[in-house]
Amino acid sequence: MSVEIGHFALVLAFVLSLVQSVVPLSGARLGSERLMRVGEPVAVTGLALIATSFAALTLAYVQSDFSVLNAWENSHSAKPMLYKITGTWGNHEGSMLLWVLILALFGAMVAFFGRNLPPTLRANVLAVQGMIAAAFLLFILLTSNPFTRLHPAPMEGRDLNPLLQDVGLAIHPPLLYIGYVGFSISFSFAVAALIEGRIDAAWARWVRPWTLAAWAFLTGGIAVGSYWAYYELGWGGFWFWDPVENASFLPWLSGTALLHSAIVMEKRAALKIWTVLLAILTFSLSLLGTFLVRSGVLTSVHTFASDPTRGVFILAILMAFIGGALTLFAIRASRLAPGGLFHPISREGALVLNNLLLTTAAATVLVGTLYPLLIEALTGEKISVGPPFFNLTFIPLFLPLLAAVPFGPMLSWKRGDLPAAAQRLQFAFAGAAVSGLVSYFLIDRASVFAALGIGLGLWLILGAVTDLALKMGVGKVKPSVALRRLKGLPLSMFGTTLAHAGLGITTLGVVCVTILETERVLVMQPGESMEISGYSLEYEALQPFTGPNYTEERAHFAVSEVGGRPLGEIVSAKRFYTARNMPTTEAGIRTMGLSQLYVSLGDKTNDGGIVVRVWWKPLVTLIWLGTLFMMVGGAVSLFDRRLRVGAPSRQRATAAQGASS
Amino acid sequence: MVFWIIAALFTLAASYAVIQPFVRGSRTRTQSVEHDLAVYRDQLAELEREVKQGIVPERDAEEARAEIARRMLRLKDAADEETARQDGKSRTAVKVIAAAAILAVPVLSWGGYLLLGSPGMPSMPLQARLQQDPSRASLEELLARAENHLSANPDDARGWETLAPVYARIGRYDDAATAYRNSIELEGATAERESALGEVLVGAAGGVVTAEAEAAFQRALDLDEGNPRARFYTAMGSAQEGDVDRARAIWEAMVTELPDDSPWKQAAGQAAEGLAPAVTNQEDVGPTREQQAAAQEMMPEEQREMIEGMVSGLDARLRENPDDPEGWRRLLRSYVVLGRRDDAEEALSRAFAALGPDSEDAEALAEYANGLGLTER
Repeated sequence: MSVEIGHFALVLAFVLSLVQSVVPLSGARLGSERLMRVGEPVAVTGLALIATSFAALTLAYVQSDFSVLNAWENSHSAKPMLYKITGTWGNHEGSMLLWVLILALFGAMVAFFGRNLPPTLRANVLAVQGMIAAAFLLFILLTSNPFTRLHPAPMEGRDLNPLLQDVGLAIHPPLLYIGYVGFSISFSFAVAALIEGRIDAAWARWVRPWTLAAWAFLTGGIAVGSYWAYYELGWGGFWFWDPVENASFLPWLSGTALLHSAIVMEKRAALKIWTVLLAILTFSLSLLGTFLVRSGVLTSVHTFASDPTRGVFILAILMAFIGGALTLFAIRASRLAPGGLFHPISREGALVLNNLLLTTAAATVLVGTLYPLLIEALTGEKISVGPPFFNLTFIPLFLPLLAAVPFGPMLSWKRGDLPAAAQRLQFAFAGAAVSGLVSYFLIDRASVFAALGIGLGLWLILGAVTDLALKMGVGKVKPSVALRRLKGLPLSMFGTTLAHAGLGITTLGVVCVTILETERVLVMQPGESMEISGYSLEYEALQPFTGPNYTEERAHFAVSEVGGRPLGEIVSAKRFYTARNMPTTEAGIRTMGLSQLYVSLGDKTNDGGIVVRVWWKPLVTLIWLGTLFMMVGGAVSLFDRRLRVGAPSRQRATAAQGASS
Repeated sequence: MVFWIIAALFTLAASYAVIQPFVRGSRTRTQSVEHDLAVYRDQLAELEREVKQGIVPERDAEEARAEIARRMLRLKDAADEETARQDGKSRTAVKVIAAAAILAVPVLSWGGYLLLGSPGMPSMPLQARLQQDPSRASLEELLARAENHLSANPDDARGWETLAPVYARIGRYDDAATAYRNSIELEGATAERESALGEVLVGAAGGVVTAEAEAAFQRALDLDEGNPRARFYTAMGSAQEGDVDRARAIWEAMVTELPDDSPWKQAAGQAAEGLAPAVTNQEDVGPTREQQAAAQEMMPEEQREMIEGMVSGLDARLRENPDDPEGWRRLLRSYVVLGRRDDAEEALSRAFAALGPDSEDAEALAEYANGLGLTER
């Protein structure tokens, strides 16, 4: 019964989303306050219904109810409970349901936390959210219904793709989707403002928390996805410029641009049109990502063409929303009043530069992602645009951006003083230069590029710290005063520092691991040992092991310093999932400080040996540590008191009553 | 029934969400511009804080103050516009929209669900299905239940022994063979178990008595030389290899020795009848063409079809899995017995290709083929 309840709740949620997309919008047009207010309870109820539906599907997985087609296709009774639950969104139908669940969650949050928004703006935002929800709920119900039943029900399921039976992949999609879908709020705000035809500096303030939250989650989602690929695929790479990765990176790039241009708009009421356009583009890229990943167009343009129902449906949604929003933009953009003026060298100018480089980088990645698809569609030829393309195009765009980052916060609004900013950054620059030189001369095999890269990473970190130190007045005032000032600084400044430093940390990790990593591939017999980067690895034995739904052969390696003390054991395994006849590689990873020793198994040889690939990855964990800094930076900014501007003053007098009612 | 009640409650809750703003009293009305003003006032306050902390110099602050003030002034125009808009006479439109929205919720949701859903179909959690009354369960469910039990208790010999014939009956011969092997391993070999294992191996090979099956029958006969199943299939193996005399001898012996109520007696009788007449004088040469032709004529249509079926099954298996000298030997012999000499020669060249022309296996096979009167093409 619970399955059917879930199905019914989903249909009901669809109907409510229709109501939500029509009624508040017409209320705003007709000036009827009651119609406008319909949006809020409907958004909250819609969330409750979709959550019920999602819970029902999860229950079907937990109970191994194979009368549900989706559970039969993607679950197995012997699977560990954790993966039964996460299996709910480890497949197309379930992940789309998660997508709308998060969409509904954001809608309900606008209804709940949006008291400080003008009623018409709130009504319009909810209406646009309702439209997106309606489109995707219809898509789920008609083409990807997770509640399709099977009769008679089979006794055993076909198991989840083994690659997805992993903790990393269990949390990756939810984080990524919170990011993707979070940008729908920025989109809704942009469209709502265009519908009203009025956008001010206040608008940027209202959008900012939503953009920040989405951006922080997307950052986390991408990082977790990258770490998963790193240890689960067994190749030891952290970023592959794979279309699926690019699909999540694109909204991140434009979302980062949006985050920065919204600052200019909030402070100076400038860049209005651009900010609105970015808000539309960012969510459009999120939708494009959903389309690329979910339509199957990436696997092959031809499989997509042979079973196009889903793909065409998403494509229609994509065109309707992007096309509609851009048309509205074209009609209304000219009516938007221009904002404050500024000198090219100023905080605004720096942020414009940031936006230019970020959007160009995004365009490059977009071309690199779509070009192969276009070629395949037109000529049938399959080409792949790999890392060389992105290294040649993306990196030259991104390096100047990174180099310019520390200058931005040093420049003042309206007109800045570049020499003065440079002077203030002299210590950061000196520190970066020295560390670059030191690494060039002291570290083995460090090339000029490595030295420059390490210098760049430290330049970012030190630049971020310098900014904070200057705001505290370090060097000018007494330490106690500086400390007191530090406490008084708005949280968003800490956010900036953390995020910019995080960028530097990630850069440092990427540079170190790309240029300084060492790799050895060899055939090892039990009892043999090898050395890599000062560590010795002895292959002890291969032992069979039986997991709940797989069997594996575990290779045990004893690690020690060369000629020195033992450091324990690394276990790397080749796993075989019986239900799907699929092998996977379970890399053995040992973290030493910030670096990692990575062991992956290849094929067995006839004489009892096994192919072993070992990497020494110096400072590799910095890549993900840096993203953690960025996420925390986003979260800290989110709690800045300025983003919690209360309701208008007339209500402020009755705030106590208002809050309790 | 419970489902419909819950569905009705959900519908009610959803409808209430739509009606709520109309039944609850109007909230204090605020104008949009007041929300904007709140932001700008906050910006001013923030500016003052920053000036006090020395982050923003007084000169810049003055300009910023003026800018924020200008934004506040501009809001006044927007406020006037908004007041004008709210005076519109649209009461009918509001009522129509509200009514349509409230009506849409139950109508569309129930209509949509009836179209898409499977109302009345219960959930089927696996655990509950495994525990339900066995008499109402399907064979498949019983099997799953037994498999579940055995995967948890793989040492339950009786379980394996019970499960094996069930597998055999529904054609899952490989699983049946595994089950018999487990039971032999746990409880020890008996003639009955070994011969049953041989039988399912024959089933798995599409009716061909393979070397593996023959070994099982031999073990059964070692334990009990009178085991009728093992004797019957040993004879069948001989027949398939062309040793019709031996087959006939065994089957005819079974007919005379077995008691009347034994099912094997009848089977052996029928099998013996279906055999080709005795072929004599073939100590080291294969059957002549005439003899084969005669054998073919004597073969009843039904039996011939059965054997042809087995042979083509074996042929197909060898195409997939050609590294099997024993299989090739059997196939060659069968084709010769059936009089399909061309096929036999073609199979021989395939076998050479598969085994590697110079390999030991190929040499042994060539010798064997020679004995059958075949030459490599």
